[in-house]
Amino acid sequence: MKLANHLLLYLSGIILLVIGIWSIAYFLVQMYEIHDGIDEGLINLKQEFILQANTVPGFVENMEKNNPLNIKVEKTTFDAVKNMEERAYTSNVYFETEEEEEEIRLLETAFRCHLNGKYYILKIFTSNVEDNDLIENILLSLIVLYVALAVVIAVTGKKVIHKAAHPLYSLLDKLDHFQLGNTEIIDFPKSKIEEFNILNNSIKKLLENNTETFNEQKNFIENATHELQTPIAIIIGKLEMLMNEPDTKPGQLKEIGSVLNILNKMKRLNSSLLLLSKIENKQFAQSRQIDLADVFMQILDAFKELIEHRQLRLSVHQEGTPLVNMNSDLAFIMVSNLVKNAVSHNITGGIIHICLSPNRIVISNDGKNPVQDAANNIFERYKTRSDQSQSLGLGLSLVKAVTDSYNMKISYKFDKQHIITLDINF
Amino acid sequence: MKILIVEDEYEMLKSIEASLLQEGYLVEKATDYSSGIEKVFLYAYDCILLDISLPGGSGMKILEEMKRTGTDGNVIIISAKNSIEDKVSGLELGADDYLTKPFHMAELHARIKAVLRRKQFDGKDVVQLENVLLDYSQRQASIEGKPLGFNRKEFDILVFFAANMNRLITREALAENVWGDHIDYADNFDFIYAQIKNIRKKLKDNNAGIKLESVYGVGYKMVINS
Repeated sequence: MKLANHLLLYLSGIILLVIGIWSIAYFLVQMYEIHDGIDEGLINLKQEFILQANTVPGFVENMEKNNPLNIKVEKTTFDAVKNMEERAYTSNVYFETEEEEEEIRLLETAFRCHLNGKYYILKIFTSNVEDNDLIENILLSLIVLYVALAVVIAVTGKKVIHKAAHPLYSLLDKLDHFQLGNTEIIDFPKSKIEEFNILNNSIKKLLENNTETFNEQKNFIENATHELQTPIAIIIGKLEMLMNEPDTKPGQLKEIGSVLNILNKMKRLNSSLLLLSKIENKQFAQSRQIDLADVFMQILDAFKELIEHRQLRLSVHQEGTPLVNMNSDLAFIMVSNLVKNAVSHNITGGIIHICLSPNRIVISNDGKNPVQDAANNIFERYKTRSDQSQSLGLGLSLVKAVTDSYNMKISYKFDKQHIITLDINF
Repeated sequence: MKILIVEDEYEMLKSIEASLLQEGYLVEKATDYSSGIEKVFLYAYDCILLDISLPGGSGMKILEEMKRTGTDGNVIIISAKNSIEDKVSGLELGADDYLTKPFHMAELHARIKAVLRRKQFDGKDVVQLENVLLDYSQRQASIEGKPLGFNRKEFDILVFFAANMNRLITREALAENVWGDHIDYADNFDFIYAQIKNIRKKLKDNNAGIKLESVYGVGYKMVINS
């Protein structure tokens, strides 16, 4: 969930809760005020009535006889009402015209008329505000208010958060594209918000430290491999010289031969590592438009005799021209290692199928057994298959280093055959 | 044949020198930029082996000077830097070849022979080994006009041996020559062996005056059939 949405959802929840509690309280207060007002009116009316009853002769009798709509007067005795207290309450009355019961507010009291000395019960009522109607109204307006608030908060909130969090998003975007070893350090946006500045500074420090360590290590590997080249060259040269001395005995020759064998492996390992770090350092600059089909043809031609020797059946299917903009040496390194992989991990009499299209190159070949759990790590360094003790395990790493530096996508799967798919232009 | 080695690494210089002397070349040495450039302009050499990183200046500058003054020296750059840019600019400055350290002496001999051959053949790029004639431009070997029917790889191998007559070639050096850099060719030794077998058979069937000798599972040697 995005930060903005999360904040907005959180805010909306709080607003809903606050508005809910507030509206219940508001409703109760309103009802209390309304009843209070109505009751006051009823009391006023009562006092007016009693005043009239005590001053105008025949008023009470007249009222008792005629009983106007909202006043009821009944004769009673002192005993019947001596414990009665004046009270106001809500009740229902059936109105014929409305054909329904309506809520009313009723004041019930008793008094003694001074003119005739008799006791009366007096009931005065007036129409009341209906609870349900009020609740409905309040609820409706609350919903309208809530929706309006939510929309306003969502729209402005999103804008505000986006604007405020812009440094955060631009930082995230830059971090996403950051690559260790890239010479350019991220340029951090200045922000008015203190936390973002702290974040920027911490990340900047972290990246600088990492980059420094990374570069140191890279330089170390590069220097170490580079400095090893000359001593290895000297040793190999001297041993080869020794082998050609006429008085070297056969047993010594054999020993020298096995030392040379190991040295040569070391030499190749060294130069492959050097090449790998050069590719990763993007030291192969000059790019040009390369027809990979053409490169494949040249490499396959160089492998022709080996393919024949292994009795491999090669088929090339070309559906278009795979044109890429890349360094031509790297193109050759990539293709030759791909072909070499398909040849050397094959079985005698196996099949190599190469399909070339403008956006994709698929190489499938027979092989002994599926590489277990290899979908991802087949391209890692030193992931050699156990049956290939002579292999350095750097061939596909070289391929991966090349594809990575040109944003190509390479993947491996096993489906009866070993299949390597290379997406070039996508 | 006179060869100049310009190389600052003493041990490297010594082993190259020894190997060249074995092959019967006259060898001159220079160990830094100033003595290198002095020798280049004082004497004439059939071939110059030039290191790039030298004390006192770059081998590239020697090349530049040679190009500027039109001095021809059949230069082979030997550098520890396997850098494409160096290679390209070196060749543009008139170097004839570029060899990356570490290399096999057999490879160095093959390169030197190739440079000398390219410079000296008069119209015909051929080498006679006893009764076998290697025609480099046609990429064919023949005995008394009869082609021996070597395929391309077999011919390459033959050329490599021809440049290292009587010299032991290890399987690694051979594989590297056949496959070039950056390929784990070690698992393809059986292929090399098959190629050698084919070459031997063709040489023998045609009564060639040369043969490939196995040396104790270490490598092979081209010798004259006795």
